[in-house]
Amino acid sequence: MTPWPLLILLAGSAAAYADDGEYLFHAAGCLACHTAKDGAPLAGGRPFETPYGTFYAPNISPDRKTGIGTWSRREFIDALKHGTAPDGSAYYPVFPYPSYRLMTNTDAGKIFDYLQTRTARSQTNREHDTPWWLFRWMMKLWQWWALDEPAPAQTNQELERGRYLVDALGHCGECHTPRNWLGASIRTRYLAGTDLGPEDEKVPNITPERADGIGKWDADDLAYFLETGQLPDGDYTGSLMADVVDNTTSKLRVADRQAMVSYLRAVEAFPGP
Amino acid sequence: MHKTAVIAAALIATAAAQAEEPENYIKYRQAMMSAIGGHTGAAGQIVRGKVSPEGALAMHANALATLNTDIGSLFPEGSDFGETRAKEEIWSDRAAFDKAAGDAKTATAAFAAAVAAGDEEKIGAAYRDVGESCKTCHKQFRQKKN
Repeated sequence: MTPWPLLILLAGSAAAYADDGEYLFHAAGCLACHTAKDGAPLAGGRPFETPYGTFYAPNISPDRKTGIGTWSRREFIDALKHGTAPDGSAYYPVFPYPSYRLMTNTDAGKIFDYLQTRTARSQTNREHDTPWWLFRWMMKLWQWWALDEPAPAQTNQELERGRYLVDALGHCGECHTPRNWLGASIRTRYLAGTDLGPEDEKVPNITPERADGIGKWDADDLAYFLETGQLPDGDYTGSLMADVVDNTTSKLRVADRQAMVSYLRAVEAFPGP
Repeated sequence: MHKTAVIAAALIATAAAQAEEPENYIKYRQAMMSAIGGHTGAAGQIVRGKVSPEGALAMHANALATLNTDIGSLFPEGSDFGETRAKEEIWSDRAAFDKAAGDAKTATAAFAAAVAAGDEEKIGAAYRDVGESCKTCHKQFRQKKN
């Protein structure tokens, strides 16, 4: 029999972050990638140029023919967390399931429920433009080989909330952690930035390194950046990060931005690229 | 005497025309953008209650309104090559760019007005609108660092 104080504790910690599907949808940043420039929301089509070809985000609106309208919640969770399509094939990791795998099933399910309430858009998925040597079946091997231990859980409750927002939902490391030549995140360079980011963009070091990381930013500046996109020198980000600010970090609760900041200031400092 | 004056005037006009080569606007507008960023950052420190230097907020707000009067003039035709992060859409989609520049003008004028009126709540909101206009335009019309 479970002692009752433990039950209350468990209920309490779950209730503390009982976010609704819309909030989780924003926190996980689904919209920007799954919407083409001037395209219908969630209908897909946005191109991602990578060293492994150009990938086109699929339609995740609830259209029954071209979207995910006929998917079950279980199929969605398998896709989001394990990179497995309903037909059993493996997705290319341009879809950030290496991060989303850290999400709870409850939260993943809520995102599914929310997506099913959106407007269905009929738009057929565009085939990825991959080099001749790259095949989907290879992704099974990639998943087995590349998905190693994630960043450790934190004992402090705020830091753990921050880790969940940064890693599981915000998937910050997908851009901010450099990758090896096979596209796997380099664990020992966690969040240290890269010159080879998406769309040929330099991605900054967001570890607390003082020389080129965020070690000299104070906590307020960092929280204000996540809320508004303003850099400490008064400039405003216009890069892909502007999408992240608009669609994700500006929409979070103050306490959640604060938790992300606390976590980012607590991770190991690495020098940048 | 008249002939000398005409030749001198022609030489001066030529020199002036050369000084106004479009690409010279690249350095000028980068300096202007730094000035705008500087005042925005400084005003932000005050709006966010970090510092409260006497009368400085009006100075920054008025400077921002003045500096943003005609952002479009910083991007003349032909100033799209060289060391610039200006995207070609500034010139190929000029109407959209002019709208973004107009938004910056409106937002900074409203911020200056709010500061002049001294309404704390309006100042905060107006400052955010200034930032929003910066971010929106950078997103559309400024190239990423690479």
